Amino acid sequence: MRFDLTLALADRPGQLLRALEPIAKNGGNIVSIIHEREKPAEGYVPVSLVVDFPSKWNLKKTIMDMKGLGVSITKSEEIIETTRLTLILIGSMDLKRLVETRVEGVKVVGFEVSAPGSKDACVKIDLEAPTENVDKVLDELRAFSKDENALLISSI
Amino acid sequence: MKAIVVGFGFIGKDFVRAVLEKSDLIRKIDRQFKVVGVSNSKGYLHKENGLDLDRLLGIKELLAYRKSYYAGESTVDLIEKSGADIMVEATPTRIEDGEPGLTFMKHALGRGVHVVTPNKGPLVVAFKELEELAEKNCCEFLYEGTVAGAIPLFSLIRECLQGDKVLKISGILNGTTNYILSKMYFEETSFELALKEAQEKGIAERDPSYDVDGIDAACKVVILANAVMRRDAKLKDVEKIGIRSITQDAVSLAKKSNFAVKLIGTVDRTLEVAPKLVPLNHPLCVHGTLNAVHIETDLAKEVTLVGCGAGKETVSAVLNDLLTVLRKRGKAA
Repeated sequence: MRFDLTLALADRPGQLLRALEPIAKNGGNIVSIIHEREKPAEGYVPVSLVVDFPSKWNLKKTIMDMKGLGVSITKSEEIIETTRLTLILIGSMDLKRLVETRVEGVKVVGFEVSAPGSKDACVKIDLEAPTENVDKVLDELRAFSKDENALLISSI
Repeated sequence: MKAIVVGFGFIGKDFVRAVLEKSDLIRKIDRQFKVVGVSNSKGYLHKENGLDLDRLLGIKELLAYRKSYYAGESTVDLIEKSGADIMVEATPTRIEDGEPGLTFMKHALGRGVHVVTPNKGPLVVAFKELEELAEKNCCEFLYEGTVAGAIPLFSLIRECLQGDKVLKISGILNGTTNYILSKMYFEETSFELALKEAQEKGIAERDPSYDVDGIDAACKVVILANAVMRRDAKLKDVEKIGIRSITQDAVSLAKKSNFAVKLIGTVDRTLEVAPKLVPLNHPLCVHGTLNAVHIETDLAKEVTLVGCGAGKETVSAVLNDLLTVLRKRGKAA
């Protein structure tokens, strides 16, 4: 699992090395690090990290250890990889039902309808879905198109 | 080697023409090469010391070759009587039962005669049986022209990706539907109008269902699954959706988002033929009657081939298969 962490470190030599020790100790793998020494705020330097941890538990343990060392953590968020999907549906279909079809974490970022209400109605949907949920989204839409007797065109 | 040509329609004639035109090249590989027989549904020609190919191409009916013509006799007799080493099978495709090609191929392979063919029907119906028969009788069975016409797909995988595991194959496997969808994309015409124009140009048949309902592409998916992925797939295993329901609105909406709608055949965990959105910058996004095949493997990762998928160009694949047999078996001899 990938996490986005921001630390606020005292602008003194050796602080960064000390702060990073709990990451390795708890099985984390640093993917990227930005140490913004030129942007100190009230004597603290922001450090942005992207870290892979085997689980949320490892992150939790790391944060506890960092706090024990007096390191201030200003942000810790899971990074969810998303995939953009463009789909087209053709046929007479219940657009309200389509809009109400929801899969967890999926955002509709584009929606265009042509000839609504006709037997050749055409809908283009752009979705942003967590990558791990892409198959689930497609399954939901396949089931919808089957029920509505519409043709679903997905991207390759 | 002695060859017989079974089926003397467009492909059979084009093949004989190519053999004539490339005779110097062929003789460099096999000095003794000759075509000793040609058959169609009405009878066959047989001449032990080789047919005059120039003369053969000049006649309208095999009957006109006179003395060497055996009216009403079957191809099976020709296979036996001619003592041929190789059969080029180019009878019309019938996907329901693979006949008459299937019987001829079984007969030839059963007698240890190498078979080269662009005929999909027998391979869709009985690929595994034909492969096993070829193996059992130590003969070559090559079918490059059956999928994506002149594109050297099977040869490439067999010769140049020997260590790779093919994970997925997808592609535009039918030129007629690609022509129709390209018309809809570039000229913003309806499906009906694009189909009509394709029929007027001879690109689509009067009954276009074989192409537009995805049957032709599904046959190719079956052959790819069996030949490349070593499955035992049948036509009924392919989930198939054609392009009849594709509207101009759908093509336009796709275009606005930088996609083109293409009929894509896919060999993956499942076998599928369906209209898909293909990004305009994807190597599979080719237009007109072109075919394109995208191969994903464990080592080479991605390889895409583009070329003519049907028509006269298919003779290139058939001739290459013939030369492959001559080289391979010539060396062995």
